[in-house]
Amino acid sequence: MRNSLKVAKWEMKKNMKNKSFIISLFLTPILFLVFATLPSLLEKFDSEPEPPTVYIFDDLHVWNEMEKLPQLKELAWNVKATEEENPSFLEGKENVAYISLTEQSLNDGKIPVYISEDVDGDFVHETRFLEEPLRQLQLTRLDLSEEEISLIAKGVVMEEAEIPHPESSQKGDVEGESDPFKRLVPGAFAGVILFSIVITGMMIFQSASQEKKEKVAEIVLSSLTPEELMNGKIIGYFGLGIVQVFVWLLFAIPIIMWRFDFPVMEYLLVPETLLLLLIAIAGYLLFAAIFVGIGATVEDMTATSNFQGMVMMLPFLPAAIIGPVIADPSGMIAKIASYFPITSPAILLVRLSALDEWPWMEIIISLVVLALSIWLFMKLAGKIFKTGILMYGKNATPQEIWKWLRQ
Amino acid sequence: MGEAILTVEGLGKSFKNKQIIKNISFHVKKGEIMAILGPNGAGKSTTIRNIMGIMYPDEGSITFHSSKGVPRHKIGYLPEERGLYKGVKIMDILLYFAELKDYPLEKARKRALEYLEKFDLKGKEKVTIEELSKGMAQKVQFISSIIHEPELLILDEPFSGLDPVSQELFKKEIKDLANKGTAILLSSHQMNLVEELCDRLFMIHQGQKIIYGTMDEVKKEYANFKCTIKGSNDLSRLEQIAMVERVEQDGDQSILYLTGDVVIPQWLKQLPEGLQIEELSIDRTSLHEIFIGIATGKNMLMKENELYAK
Repeated sequence: MRNSLKVAKWEMKKNMKNKSFIISLFLTPILFLVFATLPSLLEKFDSEPEPPTVYIFDDLHVWNEMEKLPQLKELAWNVKATEEENPSFLEGKENVAYISLTEQSLNDGKIPVYISEDVDGDFVHETRFLEEPLRQLQLTRLDLSEEEISLIAKGVVMEEAEIPHPESSQKGDVEGESDPFKRLVPGAFAGVILFSIVITGMMIFQSASQEKKEKVAEIVLSSLTPEELMNGKIIGYFGLGIVQVFVWLLFAIPIIMWRFDFPVMEYLLVPETLLLLLIAIAGYLLFAAIFVGIGATVEDMTATSNFQGMVMMLPFLPAAIIGPVIADPSGMIAKIASYFPITSPAILLVRLSALDEWPWMEIIISLVVLALSIWLFMKLAGKIFKTGILMYGKNATPQEIWKWLRQ
Repeated sequence: MGEAILTVEGLGKSFKNKQIIKNISFHVKKGEIMAILGPNGAGKSTTIRNIMGIMYPDEGSITFHSSKGVPRHKIGYLPEERGLYKGVKIMDILLYFAELKDYPLEKARKRALEYLEKFDLKGKEKVTIEELSKGMAQKVQFISSIIHEPELLILDEPFSGLDPVSQELFKKEIKDLANKGTAILLSSHQMNLVEELCDRLFMIHQGQKIIYGTMDEVKKEYANFKCTIKGSNDLSRLEQIAMVERVEQDGDQSILYLTGDVVIPQWLKQLPEGLQIEELSIDRTSLHEIFIGIATGKNMLMKENELYAK
């Protein structure tokens, strides 16, 4: 164990001093930020065209009233009154609009808005806020009472409602149903951790393969056993993954709190987070075992056979079934996937983030399955690693790997 | 010489039904340089890897007298496969290997700087391995194998790939270490280097022992006299000279390999008068020649396989 920790420390130090690791460590959250904020930034640039010059033909003499509406002030139209009844005088002018407020159009219920071609498409939407005062005007002219007007103006809406639940206490109801973030935040947190350590876990693959390629394994193995070397790598890259998460969260949490005014920490610091973290770590150990074992069979990354390539894809398997699982977190697919070791960690996290009531029995079965698979995979990886790391000059074939496993 | 540190007995190992080494027995003593010699593929590295516990022997035993199992912290190992972490600074690597051996880091740093200076690598401790030439990297690797002051140093082909200057440097260092009491086991196929260096040798061919003994014993037993004559002479005429085992002729130069029981003054007196001699020299055959003789099957040793030096 002490030797494993030495290896772990070395692997961490080696990577932390490596420029490309540092760059990607900081670049990932920055890229993430850029992609998250870029669209809204671009939109801002986009949505500030010159406000159009709006000519109002005000036959109804209501414009003075309407001009006071707060929305209009925000829009900052360039309003000009006009006596022209025919909009054809706009011909040839740029960025102009013409609104005709006449008895005729009010009675028809349709107010024509003429715009020149270059006016922003949103302008027509912006004119909508004129609809309500004009409707008011329409109604007032019918000589209705205030009450009647407000009733008519209200309209009729269909509204969704809950079936009353006599047994459940008032308090439980409020907590359970209304806050999807309660489960989602710890789930997302564990998901980020799983993602991060699986990504660094893939670096184990490279590390094992490199150890072999640089032919340094034999020297290292003169000081410790293959098992210690392998465990050291697994622990080391776990540490790196955690460092990575830490750095990411250092960026993410303040930004989320600042931008969305969202109390992340409150949601995060609950006992459920611990279970979710346990699942994430179990997922890491499982994939780390696979990667370190397979990495020890590969010397030349470019000549990696399909077999090894497929193994690298295993962590992404849950992505294929995540759709149905989100659609029905207690469905058949979700259940089977949480008992299958490769998909279990990711799918469990997704399910537990989506479900209000946790299916404890299923969680326990999944954890047992995971624990057994980790034990088995570690054992197998140890066998492959021991022989593979010292085989120079070529990649191992699946047949050879099979032979080592049976030794 | 001191007490034995490592004893190998009846070692055997096969891969896929092919016996790589068979019945290998020897020991290494404190303060001596013991060489395993043999052509490529003779089983030298396999023997060493079995000692290091990197492979497990099918038969036989390996005993380290200071401890049970492989005393990893007391062994220094330079494998035949050269390699070090590429993108890492020299000092970092050396300290890592020292740490793996539980050697105090401050002491290791001091020793590393000393050795870097000794090996003409002064001021390079912050250079990464990938910036070094192959020979320089090998020096670093050598330092990494001795940084923790091992009791037993195992060097697999330490001289391969080195220029003559570096070879001398390595030889001197290995001798120094032995004088300070380190037991050294090294393998090589470069006999001329080993000849001046080792105290005892174990010659292996096709996985089996050919010769085992001290350098002097081996020389006395196997290194017969040879006579080199410069001048154009008939091969058949030379072969008729008494006590000549075989003759190698290359242009004007002939090498006469003499039998073991030759008495040089007498032999010189009876040389035929008609021989054309521009130069003549007599010396013992080198280890190199014994070795080539064995490897190519020319030497009569192959027939006298049962005759051991000890």
